[in-house]
Amino acid sequence: MRGRWAELIGGPFRASWRAGLGWSIALVVLIVSTVAFWPAFRGASGITQAIDQMPAPLLDAFGLQGFGTPAGYLRGGLYELLIPLVFAAAAVLFANSATAGEEDAGRLELFVSQPVSRVAFFAGRSVAVFAWLAVLTLVALASQLASDQIFGVPIDAGPVIATVVLCGLLGAFVAGVCLTVAGLVARPQLVQSVGFSVAYLSYLILALFPLSSLLAPWRQIAPWGWALGGDPLVNGAEIWRYLLLGGPAVLLAVVGALAFERRDIRSA
Amino acid sequence: MDAQTSQAALTTDGPAIHIEGLVKDYGAVHAVRGINLDVRRGEVFGFLGPNGAGKTTTIRCLLDLLRPTAGRLEVLGLDARQDSLALRSQVAYMPGELRLPERMTGAGLVAAIGRLRGGLDTRRRDSLAERLDLDLSRRLRELSSGNRRKVALLLAFVADAELLVLDEPTNGLDPLMQREFLALVREAKEQGRTIFLSSHVLSEVQRAADRVAVLRGGALIVVGGVDELRRRARQRIEVWFDGPAPTEELAALPELVNQHTEDHRFTALLAGSIEPLLAVLVQQHVVSLLVEEPDLEEAFLDLYEAAS
Repeated sequence: MRGRWAELIGGPFRASWRAGLGWSIALVVLIVSTVAFWPAFRGASGITQAIDQMPAPLLDAFGLQGFGTPAGYLRGGLYELLIPLVFAAAAVLFANSATAGEEDAGRLELFVSQPVSRVAFFAGRSVAVFAWLAVLTLVALASQLASDQIFGVPIDAGPVIATVVLCGLLGAFVAGVCLTVAGLVARPQLVQSVGFSVAYLSYLILALFPLSSLLAPWRQIAPWGWALGGDPLVNGAEIWRYLLLGGPAVLLAVVGALAFERRDIRSA
Repeated sequence: MDAQTSQAALTTDGPAIHIEGLVKDYGAVHAVRGINLDVRRGEVFGFLGPNGAGKTTTIRCLLDLLRPTAGRLEVLGLDARQDSLALRSQVAYMPGELRLPERMTGAGLVAAIGRLRGGLDTRRRDSLAERLDLDLSRRLRELSSGNRRKVALLLAFVADAELLVLDEPTNGLDPLMQREFLALVREAKEQGRTIFLSSHVLSEVQRAADRVAVLRGGALIVVGGVDELRRRARQRIEVWFDGPAPTEELAALPELVNQHTEDHRFTALLAGSIEPLLAVLVQQHVVSLLVEEPDLEEAFLDLYEAAS
């Protein structure tokens, strides 16, 4: 039984190692290259003053408040958009390639016809997707903490850890949405469209809804906001933020597995 | 349900496959229209039909990859839907449309499937690889379609399964390997295993199968032994007369269809008893009489023409 589970999780995990390596490199390059410019920004008061003179709503929308501070710099340069976006994109592509993409290509049939339940099969693939997101979270965290040390960014490790973990959980939430869609239908384009739309709309809601008094209260519906709306680089994060992202991520994967159990498997 | 505990429910008597009123619709498309079929234990059963006849759909319903619109399917006494997990531990399946994970090696894929099946007989794997002349160390994307087919064949025959379901197993195999495949089928049959063989290569089925079912447009046309099927097919008759052919007497015989006369030569297809024809021929000066035994292909085409 242990061998079966090792294969159900390890098989799709190993199959994604190239993509995992690629995303890891992208995260390292992005984080290190951004943090490497901190010493230049720290000394350039003109730039930070110019940014501070932008209208407050714009500063909020693009996460540029306090750009001259370490937390503001990391938020504006990485954690307002880029890093969460990388996690969301990786989540969509990992989830899609492990499920709907493989099924659409006809490569699941041989595996699903073996003596394993469909729920176990889908659960194994979901765990592999979440495992890769966990790996990326560790890679991002290690890169960030090491870069902070190397380039002298004076920021506590606690808020940084909270922020990176929340980015990873945002990715897990988006992966959960994709897994639900993939469980329902073997249409990779649909899985990708829904995944990217959820991520993009979620960011737009968080960034732009506050600009309108009518829409501002609705910004709470955005998972992006659940992750980063409380400015975790400055304030750390409440426990509910982790639960609100991680819980539904698992729940959505379970819904996907149950849906996968009930439908036809697509052939080549 | 755990596959091992469920195996207790496996029965050793009754048909290996029992299909009752199987219907599978895809929206307005009727892929399978009410199939009833029993496959006996220990037999090699040929499932014949052209592309789109419903062979693969039926097979995928048997393996619970597709959910039937209506009907009941039992495999080795187990319900294909409720007991699918226990059932699949006793069934080895080779898909017709073969899409394998390209970055894996043959050995990696065999090991992965072995882990999912709860074990693998490595000696048997090596022996099969040798017989199929297969290099398992190569990546699957580097293999020709024939060699990929060999990997799938190895996966089907290496499994310790009571029932082998093989969908178009020899597509892309060279004649030498087709012969090896037939030898493997014979050996599996000798071991008491049941082989459900879907194909449109009639010669292969003719050589391997004990019984066949012919499918057309999602419905069964006929089920029977290969010899019986041949007997049911029309035989080709060719008669050479010393003088002009007695066309009027021959035209009066309803058993003779597609009649054609050319001077002293008469040809037709015999659909029924040969006695009335012989009664006419004894009155004539016959130079030669040729009655050709139809092979399965002719029987097959015949049945198709009759069905359409």
